[in-house]
Order: sequence, then C-alpha cells, then structure tokens
Amino acid sequence: MTFSTELIAEIAWPLALLVAWLAGEMAFRWLNLPRIAVYAMTGFALAPTQLGFLPAGTSGPALLLANIAFGLILFEAGYRINLRWLRANPWIAVTSVVEAGLSFAVVYIVASVAGLASTAALLLAALAMATSPATILRVVNEQRSAGQVTERLLHLSVLNCVLSVLAFKIVVGLAVFHTSGSLLHAVRGSAFVLAASAMAGAVAGIALSALLRHLEPAQRDNTLAFAITVITIVALTHVLQLSPVVAALTFGLATRHRRSFFGRSQRGFGALGDILAVLLFVFVAATLDWRHVVAGLGTGLAVIGVRQLAKIASVGAFSYVSGISLRKGLLVGLGTAPVSAFVVLMLEQTRHLGVHLVDDLAPLAALALLLEILGPVIVRRTLVAAREVARAPEA
Amino acid sequence: MALDAFTPSRRGTLGVELELQLVAPTDFDLVPASPDMLALLVRRPFPGTVTPEITQSMIEIATGIHESHATLAAELIQMRDALVAAGDRLNVGVCGGGTHPFQHWTERRIFEKPRFERVSALYGYLTRQFTVFGQHVHLGCADGDEALFLLHALNRYVPHFIALAASSPFVQGTDTLFDSSRLNAISAFPLSGRAPFLMSWNEFETRYFDRMAHTGIVASMKDFYWDIRPKPEYGTIELRVCDTPLTVERAAAIAAYLQALCAHLLEREAPDPVEDDYLVYTHNRFQACRFGLEGVLVNPRTYERVTIRDDILATLDRVRPNAAALGSLGALDELRMIALAGNDAAELRRARAERGAIENVVATALQRFRESSPIT
Repeated sequence: MTFSTELIAEIAWPLALLVAWLAGEMAFRWLNLPRIAVYAMTGFALAPTQLGFLPAGTSGPALLLANIAFGLILFEAGYRINLRWLRANPWIAVTSVVEAGLSFAVVYIVASVAGLASTAALLLAALAMATSPATILRVVNEQRSAGQVTERLLHLSVLNCVLSVLAFKIVVGLAVFHTSGSLLHAVRGSAFVLAASAMAGAVAGIALSALLRHLEPAQRDNTLAFAITVITIVALTHVLQLSPVVAALTFGLATRHRRSFFGRSQRGFGALGDILAVLLFVFVAATLDWRHVVAGLGTGLAVIGVRQLAKIASVGAFSYVSGISLRKGLLVGLGTAPVSAFVVLMLEQTRHLGVHLVDDLAPLAALALLLEILGPVIVRRTLVAAREVARAPEA
Repeated sequence: MALDAFTPSRRGTLGVELELQLVAPTDFDLVPASPDMLALLVRRPFPGTVTPEITQSMIEIATGIHESHATLAAELIQMRDALVAAGDRLNVGVCGGGTHPFQHWTERRIFEKPRFERVSALYGYLTRQFTVFGQHVHLGCADGDEALFLLHALNRYVPHFIALAASSPFVQGTDTLFDSSRLNAISAFPLSGRAPFLMSWNEFETRYFDRMAHTGIVASMKDFYWDIRPKPEYGTIELRVCDTPLTVERAAAIAAYLQALCAHLLEREAPDPVEDDYLVYTHNRFQACRFGLEGVLVNPRTYERVTIRDDILATLDRVRPNAAALGSLGALDELRMIALAGNDAAELRRARAERGAIENVVATALQRFRESSPIT
C-alpha cells in the first residue's frame, strides 16, 4: 500500500486543482457563485485535517506557488494604484488610516473581552486591519466592474494591507520576540523591513521599465517580463525575510508610474494567473483546521461583525467629503470584507520564522475560513448593488 | 410629429457642445465613470450644462449662448476646470479627441436612459462603435430661410472644419491613416450625410420633413445625423462635423471661425448655393477626413484644385474684416497657426511616434486637455 499512498501524495495537488476548477465552473454557471469561493470550499474539504486528501505539511512547492500567485495579484493591485489620486484627494488616505485604525481597536477589544492573551489579541487586531486584494481583484476582473466603489475598494485594500503589515511586524517584533522590549525599537525594525521591501519593489519596477523601453519600445505585451520579475521578487524577499506583500505591491506601483503598460487584456495574467489563483484559494483554505474553526467560531464571528461595522462606519463617514454618495461609501465599507489570503500567507511566513500563530489563534481560523468563502460573495453583491458591473452577460 | 416652428435667434450667436472622453488614469482605457462624475458635479452650480451621453464613458458639456469668442472661451475654460477638478477627486481622466485610440467597443456600457436603450437596441453594434466624440457648434439664425441659406452656403467650407478639428487618427490600436476617422463611424447611420437641397423653411417643412415623418422613419430633427442640421427649437444651425479638439480653447476658436464665416456669407457677395455644389461634396469631405490639411479640394464652381490648407488660409484672410467686427481676430490667428503647423491628429501621431506605446497617445490628450493653452 505504500506505493499507492505515495502515488496519491504525488498527484494530490494536481487533482485537487482539477476538482476545485470543475466545482468552480459548475457553481459559477448554475449557482452563480464566485469561482474563488468554491475553490476555498474545495480546499477546506480536501485539507489534511479534514478529508485528508491533501498531504500534511504546508511548506514546500505549494506554499511557494501560493506566494507567487499572491505576488502576481499584488503586482496587479499595485499597478492599479494611482499615487496622484491620493495626493489630489487626500480623503482617500484619511479614510484608509481611520478605517484600519478603528478596525484594529475594535478587534483588539473584542478579542480581549473574549479572553485572548494580549499578544494574540494584538496580532489578530493587526491582521484584521487588512482587506485582501486577492479576492477584490479576482472578483473585479471576473465581473469586469468599474466605478468609484471598485476603484476605492482597490485603493483601500492596498493601503490597509500595507498598514496591516506594518502593525503586524511591530507586534511580532515587540510581543513575540521581545526583541528589546522597546516600542521604538520594534517600530524601527518594522519600518526597516517595510522600507527595504518597498525599495526592492521600486528598484525592480524602475529597472525593468527602463530595460523594456530599451528592448522594444512599442511592445504591447509585457506579461512575461512582469510575471518572471514578480516570481523573483517573491522568492528573494522570502529568503531575505522581507515582506513579499509590500515588495510586489511597490513593484506594480513603480511599473505603472514608470509608464510600462499592463493592458486590460493582460488582466489577471491570463491562464497563468487563473491556474495560480485556483491554487492560492485552495491552498489558503487547506491550511485551516476544522477544530480551530469550531473552537474559534464564536469569537471569530464577533470579530467579523465589529470589524465590518468599523470599516463601514469609517468609510461611510468620509464618503461625502471624498466625493461620493453615502450609499456608495457604505458599499465600499461593506466590500472591504475579504481578508483570508493575506492573513494566511502572513501567518505561514511567520511559521517559517518558528512561530506557530495559527495554532494559537483559533478565532483567526474561523475568520479566515468564513471570509474566504463569504468574501467573494459579499464583494460581488456590493459591486452589483453599486451598479458597477457590466450588465452584458459574460460570453 | 410636426416640425417645431423656427424660433428666431439673434443672428450669429454661438453655442458649443463637446463630447468628452472619460478614461482611467491606470490603463488609459475608457471607463464608465459618467454616473459618478455627474453625481459629484451636481453638488455645485456648473457653468453651462453637463449631461450623460449614450455610453457611460462619455460626458457632454454645453455652453450657454454667446455673442463673442471671448465669453465663449471663458465659459468653456471654467467648465473644463470644473470637470478636471471633479475627475481628480474621482481618479477619472477627462480629455478631448474624436476617438479613443484603443478602446474595444464590446466593452462599452450603455447609459441607463430610455432613449439611449431604444437607440442601442435599434442600431446594435453601431451604437457601441459610435463611441466617438464630436464638437457641435450652434449658430443663431434670424429665421428658417436664413438657416437653410447658411446651411447650404457652408457646404464648400465643411472640409475646413473637419481638417482643423481632426483628432481621431487611431481606432482600436491602429493608425487608420485618416485624420478624422470619427466621421466614418457616423456615415454608417442611415440618416447621415447632408440635408436635402431646399432653400426655404416652408418647403423644407412641407416637401421634406412632413413627408419623412409620414413614412414613420423619423419623429424629430434629432433623428437626422447630418453634417449640418437646422435646430428649429433653438433657432440655430448645428455644425456637427468637428472632432472634439484636444483643448477647449481650440473648440472656441473653431466656433469663432464659423461665426465670422457666416457673417461673411450673409453679406451675400458670393453667388447663391446651388444643388450642383454638392457634386464634389463627398469627395471634398473624404479628402478632409483622410488627409486633413493636406487634402485637395475641388472647387464646386471652378473645378480648380487647391489644398485644404491653402483654402483655409485664403478664407481666413477673406473673413478678417468680419472677425475684426466680432472681436475674434485672436481666434483666427490661432487657426492660422493650426493650418500652418498641423492639427491635433498630427500631434497625436507625433506622440505615438515619440513615446511608443499607444497608451501614451491618451496620456498626451489628458495632458493637453488640462493645461490652458494661451489664448491670444
């Protein structure tokens, strides 16, 4: 039987992807569910701790590929950020800081009340600040949506991810490693990681743009060049223990502002992006253990609730001054729900440092699972309610 | 439905409508932003009016009625500044140009308004392909007969306006070789082209409009897509052949040219228009669309050939006294410079040649629209 067990282990991942893809297509056609929600359900069901179809032990090629998938999405998210807009309309950045800050505060309070240790509560709060650009971007591309809700969701998700990485690194530095016990020291360390990661992304973006211009000035399709560079950056920052999230984001940002074009036809990196997205969402859900989900369900639900209220209230409060209606503002707040891919990959990276946070943070497992499945549905409903989805049926 | 009676206007008054592009500053593609833009713009009094157009990536502005080039230009600049400011708050770029250089018409979204949805259902893909952007200039006429006289007397000058305003060389990512490819998109509509040769308003109404309405093909003047059409409820003729220029200053100058030219035509020094003038009309129009200022016109009376550039320069000289009286010599000088140095289509081609990627053509158009070019 050893032979067949090994064989299954070898083809488990490809088979899981096939199953997830099929289920995703069927659910999209017949139940009108976003594909990535179904990938997540498949991944959770096949996980080592559930049906046990997927092999245990997440480090390895699957983790690397998931990180690359996330890197590609972050690149595209970064590419769609317009720094000039943030200057022209400072209320966007204000909204982001208030929204992320308030999320941190309320989640910390709820987690503390629920009896989590202060370190765990701080980590949970730091991660809850973020909105995962992966879900937002996949749904936006799938629905071909465009408008203020779409635009603001993308910008807010990128901004609060960066804020979340910053907060998370500070908490890890301060509370987990007790590096020096000084807040200043932890902030400085965290800021250094962020700055170095951003630098790596920016240098790559500027250098690549210059190179592309030199090679073929009128080249339409730079997909391959961007993809290969993202893969390199992700691997490099991973090894150097910098932040792949920030590096991939800044790479996209720098590329855009250096006028190398990533056209609409290249959105989502085509078939490469699609297959990696299947892997990413299956992988993320497969890291979650049903026992943690059940144990953390109560607190997880409470966290989801207060986090969402905090985000809706903050974005809604600044909607008028930032140039949109209250209704659209509330919708933007609602659409910031997704968090999973970001959270899980952040934690996996920490595991690599020798800290097993997932295992200590049962509410986080519940939060990640629920939002990985519900997030895409919420985002899509939001975009439809905002009338930003093309009515023409997808061919 | 009967034709509206022709409301007399003050002779020579001007009004301008511009269809503008809404683009995403991220990838420079068109973006369906008109609902959000309109929602933001209604918060403050807007100089002139702003309305949605058939696709959500287009917005139309219209000035009030102006006697002079100076006030027209001033209002257009105010409107431009208001639009650019609103766009900056919403991450939406606003620009001129007769076509978007690389948009795909299948992506366009139709604005939810009954008339637009009806038109879209009728014309199918033509509606989406009709994502083209034009400048319409209204000129006030004292009565219907005067309107028809000007409409037909202008026929030999139509190529001037096409060539001066041309700004649509690129479609779907390629150089069409036309300076104004936009007019080709309009020619696909069954009721495009020119008005029938009738010189009195009474005849136009009874011999043409009523009979057309009787066939059930048309209900109002709105259903005609002619190069120049009378607009009886405003008491104007509407020149519709111009692409939206890259700057509002140029739009104002072109309107001022129409004003001075009509003032000149109303002096009736030239022989009255005759139907045979139209024998060369489509040839000349094609030359203007295809070659712009380099196009070669055939004079409808003498059959002489002359480049559009030379014909414009000669006409600018001829209407100088009228422009002096109207206070628009500055506008004429600006047009002279365009005739000599090249139109917007040439500038967009230059941007493509110098800056490579087609997206940079839109970047150039965005830049040109927001910065004020000096008005002389």
